[in-house]
Amino acid sequence: MKCCLVKWIIASTAPQGPDDISESELEMATVRHQPEGLDQLQTQTKFTRKELQSLYRGFKNECPSGLVDEETFKMIYSQFFPQGDATTYAHFLFNAFDTDRSGSIRFEDFVIGLSVLLRGSVNEKLRWAFNLYDINKDGYITKEEMLAIMTSIYDMMGRYTTPSVKDDAPFEHVEKFFQKMDKNRDGVVTFDEFIETCQKDDNIMSSMQLFENVI
Amino acid sequence: MAAGVAAWLPFARAAAIGWMPVASAPMPAPPRDKKRTQDGLIILNVSGSRFQTWRNTLERYPDTLLGSTERDFFYHEETNEYFFDRDPDIFRHILNFYRTGKLHYPRHECISAYDEELAFFGIIPEIIGDCCYEEYKDRRRENAERIQDDEDSNNNNDNVPLDLSFRESMWRAFENPHTSTMALVFYYVTGFFIAVSVLANVVETVPCGKTQNRVEESCGDRYSLAFFCLDTACVMIFTVEYLLRLMVAPNRFKFVKSVMSVIDVVAIMPYYIGLVMADNEDVSGAFVTLRVFRVFRIFKFSRHSAGLRILGYTLKSCASELGFLLFSLTMAIIIFATVMFYAEKGSSASKFTSIPAAFWYTIVTMTTLGYGDMVPKTIVGKVFGSICSLSGVLVIALPVPVIVSNFSRIYHQSQRADKRRAQKKTKLARIHAKKSGGCSAYSQYKRNGLLADADEEASKEAGQALVSQANPIFDTHHHHLLHCLEKTTNHEFVDEQTYNTSCLEVTMVKQTSRSSSISSATGGGGGGGLSSCCSRRNKRKSFTVANANMASRRGSVQELSTIQIRERPVSNSRSSLNAKFGETMPLNSSEQPYLTAAVINRPNQPLTTPQGNDSASTHDYLQSNIVRVSAL
Repeated sequence: MKCCLVKWIIASTAPQGPDDISESELEMATVRHQPEGLDQLQTQTKFTRKELQSLYRGFKNECPSGLVDEETFKMIYSQFFPQGDATTYAHFLFNAFDTDRSGSIRFEDFVIGLSVLLRGSVNEKLRWAFNLYDINKDGYITKEEMLAIMTSIYDMMGRYTTPSVKDDAPFEHVEKFFQKMDKNRDGVVTFDEFIETCQKDDNIMSSMQLFENVI
Repeated sequence: MAAGVAAWLPFARAAAIGWMPVASAPMPAPPRDKKRTQDGLIILNVSGSRFQTWRNTLERYPDTLLGSTERDFFYHEETNEYFFDRDPDIFRHILNFYRTGKLHYPRHECISAYDEELAFFGIIPEIIGDCCYEEYKDRRRENAERIQDDEDSNNNNDNVPLDLSFRESMWRAFENPHTSTMALVFYYVTGFFIAVSVLANVVETVPCGKTQNRVEESCGDRYSLAFFCLDTACVMIFTVEYLLRLMVAPNRFKFVKSVMSVIDVVAIMPYYIGLVMADNEDVSGAFVTLRVFRVFRIFKFSRHSAGLRILGYTLKSCASELGFLLFSLTMAIIIFATVMFYAEKGSSASKFTSIPAAFWYTIVTMTTLGYGDMVPKTIVGKVFGSICSLSGVLVIALPVPVIVSNFSRIYHQSQRADKRRAQKKTKLARIHAKKSGGCSAYSQYKRNGLLADADEEASKEAGQALVSQANPIFDTHHHHLLHCLEKTTNHEFVDEQTYNTSCLEVTMVKQTSRSSSISSATGGGGGGGLSSCCSRRNKRKSFTVANANMASRRGSVQELSTIQIRERPVSNSRSSLNAKFGETMPLNSSEQPYLTAAVINRPNQPLTTPQGNDSASTHDYLQSNIVRVSAL
């Protein structure tokens, strides 16, 4: 029952049928997107001019058309995790970045997302993480959503791990997570519960600062 | 991985924030960033053509000349640029490799010049992209063959080095008649005698006149002595030649097995056998047959003719196609012969006396020869005869051009398939090496990282860089990212080999149990909720319990602690070893009535396999042990 729900959640957020994909692929090939001007992006994000320039160069190198569709995104992200299967988690990440649900990430989405992750306040980062876990963006994290996310994270580890990943490892992990986060035991985690619990946890707070110097 | 993807690493690292709230362990510290130089432009002056690129672009491949400090040797202070005295046209492709991650081979360039440039700049040709790889390999092979041919002809045309032994020089003379005048003379003399011998064989059967009895006799009988002398002379020459070759051959056994030597032997044997058996009338029939073999002397010409050798090689190489043609022909012949036989059975004075007799008719008809010595007389026979001749045209005429085209197609295809197979092998090897290399690099990073935390100071004083110099910044950051993932899930990456060997070890470790208590214990042991490390292969082994006394259990558990058990506190007798990772959850006997105590020993102790169940295997790679402690 649980698995079915999880699968349904993943399927409902999956891309459309094959016809739509081929059409959109055709469109993708001819569409070219130019980002907003450098000044505008500077106001919208917390990056400096030089940082924006180098970010765009890398982005444009990989995606000359200016848009990243989900397949390309999954392919790029999977290259960092050769041992496991990163496609499901990449799918969730893609949805987290593609805020307007357009099916493709433009440079603006990319850079705004990165600005939150690297230069945002801790609360903003936590908000981003909450948004990632909340697959249907209804403001609540249910156990099924969390299980889907957790399974995708464990999938990235792949087969060859020590200790071996058991089949119910994600489920156990989700249970622990909910025990920690779900204060009123109503089966869902709201944003306030999430923020409150995270702020009390030193580990989480310190790890949020981990990637400040990435760019 | 592709250089372009390196640009996305900061993104992947930033996205790792998504793991933080669910991580079950604290994250490792990020690698200390070396002083990051501002990304600047580098000017590369190659024989006057100026190329410019970002420093980061070049440093994507730190094991090449341009990406490492080796380029400092080419730094030209006066003009503040790096000067290379090389070909600018080829350099363009090399620089594109840094930019796009793909190396292309320009078709108009000479292969050896290109290879030299690649070698100079430290780029291995194996990373040439798929689009150009076949072309590159083709050209390379052609070049190698050309060099080989040049070497061979050089070897042949050289003056005989004086230190060749007599034997070796004789062998050279035999194999390459152009090397010396004597060899050439010998070559022509043997050729002449082969021709003479063959001619003699032919002429001696020509009728030459009549004897007194008005019987036509052949020249061979009339001038038998002359022919005999001629034959003897030829055979003597051939024998001497064969023995000489045998003597000087570098590898006698190989020489004896070769085709030419077999032909030689077959050409001269009949004479000697004839000598031995000359006076015995009974076997004169066989003797006559033997003389047929003398015609094989004509094959000795193949030493003198390269064309004959090529023909023989061609036939040999498309033997399967010819075989198929023969097979289909045989089928058709048998079918039609049978039909014609039964069709003509009724007619009187029919020549089709048996099916084998009808074979002759079928063959002659199908090959459209039509001698007319056997013709069907019945209407049915004629009908089938015409069908036979029509199908003969198809059966014979069609496969031949098909065979010819098949032959050329298959020949080219096999060459391409070999190329692709070799390419695939190297590609798989590359991927595998990259994966395993990546994994080993990662474990090295972790070891270095742990060391770094511990005694940074000491190493600084020692003046050594802790992170191995081969690790570029990208790899360090990538490994940190993987490390974070490990901490999030509380599992570690291992490579395939270790994983497989660990699975094997696990199955080796058997459980011992006190024989007395085995039987009583089994009841509760069924369906132990343990998963072995091979759980993904659905091998569920159940643990049987031994109600050993506490001391032994503790002792054995102590042993266990040496087998890779992590922070698992051994509580008392009800060792509640949990299958859940992460935390210890002490079990109450009230909650779980089916717990069975597991005793796990090292395999060096005598094993007694428990009852009929599967033998239990420990999972010493689980953080906690198998565990169901049962109330017995």
